[in-house]
Amino acid sequence: MTGYANGKHHALYRAVLRLSQLMAILGGIVLTGLIVLICISVAGRTMNTILHMTVIENSFPVLAKSLLDWGLGPILGEYEVVETSMPFAIMAFMPLCALTGGHASVDLFTLRMPARVNRAIDLIVAVLFAVCFVLITWRMYEGMAAKMRYNESTTLMQIPIWKAYAAALVAAAVTCVVSTYIVAVRLVESATGRVMLRNEGADY
Amino acid sequence: QEVTLKMHQFLPAQAAAPKLILDVWADKVEQQSGGKIKIERYPSMQLGGKPPELASQVVDGIADIIWTVTGYTPGRFPRSEAFEMPFIMTNAEDTSRAYWEYAEKNMLDTDFADMKMIGVWVHGPGVIHSKEPITSVEDLNGVKLRAPSRVTNKLFSKLGATPIGMPVPAVPESLSKGVIDAAVIPWEVTSALKVAELVGNHTEFGEDALYSTTFLFAMNKDTYDSMSDELKAVIDANSGADMSAWAGKIMQEADAPARKIAVDRGNNIINLTPEQVAEWKTVAASVEKDWVEEVSTDDFDGKALLEEAKALIAKHSK
Amino acid sequence: MTDIALGVASFPVLLLLIFLRVPIGLAMFLVGLAGYYYLTGGMKLSFSILKSHTYSEFSSYSLSIVPMFLLMGHFATLGGMSTALFKAAEAFLGHRRGGVAMSAVGACAGFGAICGSSLATAATMGQVALPELRRYGYSGGFSTATLAAGGTLGILIPPSVILVIYATLTEQNIAKLFLAAFIPGILAAIGYMITISIYVHLHPKAAGVRPPVPMRARFKALSAVWPVLMVFLTVIGGINFGVFSPTEGAAVGAAGTGLIALFSGGLSWGTLGNSFLATGRNTAMIFFIIFGASFYNAFLARSGAPQALSDYIGNSGFSPWLILTIILVLYLVFGCIMDSLSMILLTIPIFWPIISTLDFGLNSTEELAIWFGIIVLIVVEVGLITPPVGMNLFVINSMDRKTPIADTYRAVVYFVASDMVRVVLLVAFPGITLFFLRVMA
Ligand code: NA
Ligand code: NA
Repeated sequence: MTGYANGKHHALYRAVLRLSQLMAILGGIVLTGLIVLICISVAGRTMNTILHMTVIENSFPVLAKSLLDWGLGPILGEYEVVETSMPFAIMAFMPLCALTGGHASVDLFTLRMPARVNRAIDLIVAVLFAVCFVLITWRMYEGMAAKMRYNESTTLMQIPIWKAYAAALVAAAVTCVVSTYIVAVRLVESATGRVMLRNEGADY
Repeated sequence: QEVTLKMHQFLPAQAAAPKLILDVWADKVEQQSGGKIKIERYPSMQLGGKPPELASQVVDGIADIIWTVTGYTPGRFPRSEAFEMPFIMTNAEDTSRAYWEYAEKNMLDTDFADMKMIGVWVHGPGVIHSKEPITSVEDLNGVKLRAPSRVTNKLFSKLGATPIGMPVPAVPESLSKGVIDAAVIPWEVTSALKVAELVGNHTEFGEDALYSTTFLFAMNKDTYDSMSDELKAVIDANSGADMSAWAGKIMQEADAPARKIAVDRGNNIINLTPEQVAEWKTVAASVEKDWVEEVSTDDFDGKALLEEAKALIAKHSK
Repeated sequence: MTDIALGVASFPVLLLLIFLRVPIGLAMFLVGLAGYYYLTGGMKLSFSILKSHTYSEFSSYSLSIVPMFLLMGHFATLGGMSTALFKAAEAFLGHRRGGVAMSAVGACAGFGAICGSSLATAATMGQVALPELRRYGYSGGFSTATLAAGGTLGILIPPSVILVIYATLTEQNIAKLFLAAFIPGILAAIGYMITISIYVHLHPKAAGVRPPVPMRARFKALSAVWPVLMVFLTVIGGINFGVFSPTEGAAVGAAGTGLIALFSGGLSWGTLGNSFLATGRNTAMIFFIIFGASFYNAFLARSGAPQALSDYIGNSGFSPWLILTIILVLYLVFGCIMDSLSMILLTIPIFWPIISTLDFGLNSTEELAIWFGIIVLIVVEVGLITPPVGMNLFVINSMDRKTPIADTYRAVVYFVASDMVRVVLLVAFPGITLFFLRVMA
């Protein structure tokens, strides 16, 4: 998985990789949580339907009633929890993708260009990516401030939208750190002519 | 001086509200300005973003004019919820006129402070569209339904139903798969969603109206301020109480053709008697009470707002 | 420069950036930023848009299907489903001429039924089937080409990540698109098997022989496939006929596949973590393109260029079929260099409004959207196996170091030809694609 080409693992590289992997694992945990939540909701809804069937209501009136009173049914705000959690999960996946060069690109026309040109492209792309991510993160911060100011929340569970922004913002900030690190690596590469980080390409 | 305004909203151009209200309004403004105002129409969120962002888009100037549902951004327009309380509306025209007066007094410096308001209105009475007939509160026991707003979700929870949250476009599929047994929406929306083909029963509340949803139609403040007095006057002449009442009236009129589809299919239209409705109103009263308790703070008098909304609706409903 | 001209001019600039190896999502975002700058004379507007753009593009209930299906594919591999599928197909087909290659295609089709992505299908089945193909004397070029082509079944046969994205772009029903993809997907698998017969007939040395497997062993191999069948029936059956929404289906499928992987002993903390990393990496890649594409497309819409293009074509008097053909050829050409997801996200907001106004003699706009979507899906997937740049070709070829990429290119041409035949069939007879929908309606 690591994109380090020549096997010399700097301590700094290892730290950045660990950080990216940690974020991706966190994203995976959130995703798994959402999967479990949806499954519980589907199961609850199915049980709720079964318990309301006339046959069941007549055969096991007490059991059916107590289970229903206990709240057996779909999770009301399932939809909202998914929508407010996804931005964090996806943002948490960004650092690893950036570090391992996972973003889709077309290299057909640059393959035969000299190594020097390709290094220049790598450097420029790294700088553009870092600048864009800092911009994205900064604007998201402003977006969070606006959601806070306007007091916006979800409909049913009244989850404050700014909190969902804040979670995604933390992950975006980590991506900023990682993409800045990549710029530094590319600068060293340009100076020394060594290849340190490989682009692994997409594998979707 | 000539200006081009970008009008952005979430429905396809051929839906009732864009076709019969927004486009008609825009044509009128273009014509009355002698062609000096041009309004570019961007339906279906073509300028980007999702429906909940429309409110911010008009504040930030991403769009010059927007139309949206206040409930898409819960918490942002808290005072509008008074007009979404169960059984508060009479008919959409009079209620919309009352809503404008209420907004002018209470919301222009608060909820709507960052936008130049053109109109505010409500849609026609909400109806329950269900697979099994629903006449009494008891019939709602265990019915899985999709309700449109924060307030209606609370109402139906209290009535014993199981609300399921989902966006409106998901309603037809969810109905056909049995994910939900009923949907609560006004008639007008049912034709596009083909609800009459998916359920056999529709519960109306006689002279009463179960609920309504509030809309806002607004312009970017800077855009408005930058216009010449002559063009401002054109916008002003097409804003306010009359515009709001007209829009509400058109909304409710759009219910009829959709209702006819259900009638023509031979669907069962249940019209509750005042005695039957009384049972629902008891529960509705407790929803009002909860709302007042929940929203009231030092500078937000929920009780007074609600009373005022009721008084204004009574005043304008002849 | 007028707004429309600006919109039109942005496209070659975008292509130039992409061809200079700027990541596609980043290129679209940058051109969008520059476009807004020239359109409004400053950064204010794009800065305002960016306040909520990122969050709102990522905050999608229906697109949460994407990582769920990706995770499901990883769990399926951990649960041994890819191996079981190939073993079962091989037990029945392996002794025929070209039979091991046919088995690989059959197993790809089976894996495609529980995996939403082409490359994942190609890569997974490549690991399982490539060593077997080589062991039985199949040539390197033929083996790699077969698996690269077979991999495209991953996205044709539902579930399919790209169909989910197409559905959200055109506001169509995901379940109906899945249903419509079914027959074309099966046709693809059959077409590839016929291609294999023809290929081994023309190149007898390209395939070795393998002795038949006794009947009892065949059924034993088949019985190991039940988890695949169960997952497919639950997810796709559940979405189409049963009880839940596509997102719920994806969640139930991911959970179920995860449990199967757990009970089969394939799931440990380590493999779970690796599944998260791989899923996360691909999810980030996909959503970064979604982010860039929607930003660029909003700029394009504001410039008025797509509307102008649509009006121009609408008034040009060209026949709908000619317009459709031009669009499909454009996809084929760009498919030689670009990935399918980027193409869909970049072009559907431009092409769909044009197509939606044309009359192809279908019953409704919904039918048109579904038929067009399936054909576009197939055409962009052909791009995965067309030389010179075909992701599937690269992935599979890199697994077999002894085979030069030129050998893979030469053999895959036959599969591309099979795809072409299928596209012509589906374009000429919309009823094939719309069959299930019309029956169910
Ligand atoms: Na698939
Ligand atoms: Na290609």
